[in-house]
Amino acid sequence: MQTDAVVESGKYPPGDLAIWVFILAELGAFAAFFGSYAFTRMKNVELFNHYQMTLDKDAALINTFALITSSYFVVRAVAAIRDSDSRGCVRWLVAALVMGAIFLVVKSQEYAHHIGEGITLSTNTFYMFYLSLTFFHFMHVIMGMVILAAVAVKAKRGCYSAEQHTGVETGASYWHMVDLVWLILFPLVYVMR
Amino acid sequence: MKKRTVLGIRACTWVWLLMMSLTLITYLIGQVGVGGVSASLTVLGFALIKGQMLGDYFMGLKRLSGFWRWPVSLWLFLPGGLISAAFMLVG
Repeated sequence: MQTDAVVESGKYPPGDLAIWVFILAELGAFAAFFGSYAFTRMKNVELFNHYQMTLDKDAALINTFALITSSYFVVRAVAAIRDSDSRGCVRWLVAALVMGAIFLVVKSQEYAHHIGEGITLSTNTFYMFYLSLTFFHFMHVIMGMVILAAVAVKAKRGCYSAEQHTGVETGASYWHMVDLVWLILFPLVYVMR
Repeated sequence: MKKRTVLGIRACTWVWLLMMSLTLITYLIGQVGVGGVSASLTVLGFALIKGQMLGDYFMGLKRLSGFWRWPVSLWLFLPGGLISAAFMLVG
């Protein structure tokens, strides 16, 4: 199966190599977080299973759909600029940003609900992990949206072309990393019991 | 640039649809409230498959050779292994 994200085989990933070093560092931090959650749960299975049921799985589903779809839109943006279609690239990036905004709104509503119930980091071990892990990811979504917005502005100004679009690929790679982390976070925190 | 398609639909679109489908199945398992090692590892397996597809087809790592072909796959193995071990030890 041909990937839309890659035109030809090579030794280096799309985008600036520096972003990949950053991505690997970020992924390492999240892996440690996920491992800590899983092994802490071993000593608190009843507590984790009980409070996991208080989470909004519908919101998590919407957010997972939003992030996967946003990543798909980013793939289309990269494909568009490789075809010298700057306007198409901008349109797909804006669509991805809309999906990112949906994620932020839905997640903010979840946080508002928890805060309204008086839940904080110190409520119990489960909520400590849930709030810190999801908020850490939430901040990465905001960072990713800032990067995608900057790329969209530059694309609109005609700064990218079929020959030179490393910036688009760099932003895309970071955004895919944000999606990748959520793909593990969603089942671990909301579903697995 | 010529795009590879399957049944007239881009490969990346098929990948997106498959990822959305696996997400929906994961959600339904969660809604039923099924627990235990088997259900948990099944759901985790879906997540790892989605992660591999994202790395291969969205990040574009599938067609690379050498070191950069493997970081996402190896990363998936790390939390995947830790989480699996923790859930299997609980039983």
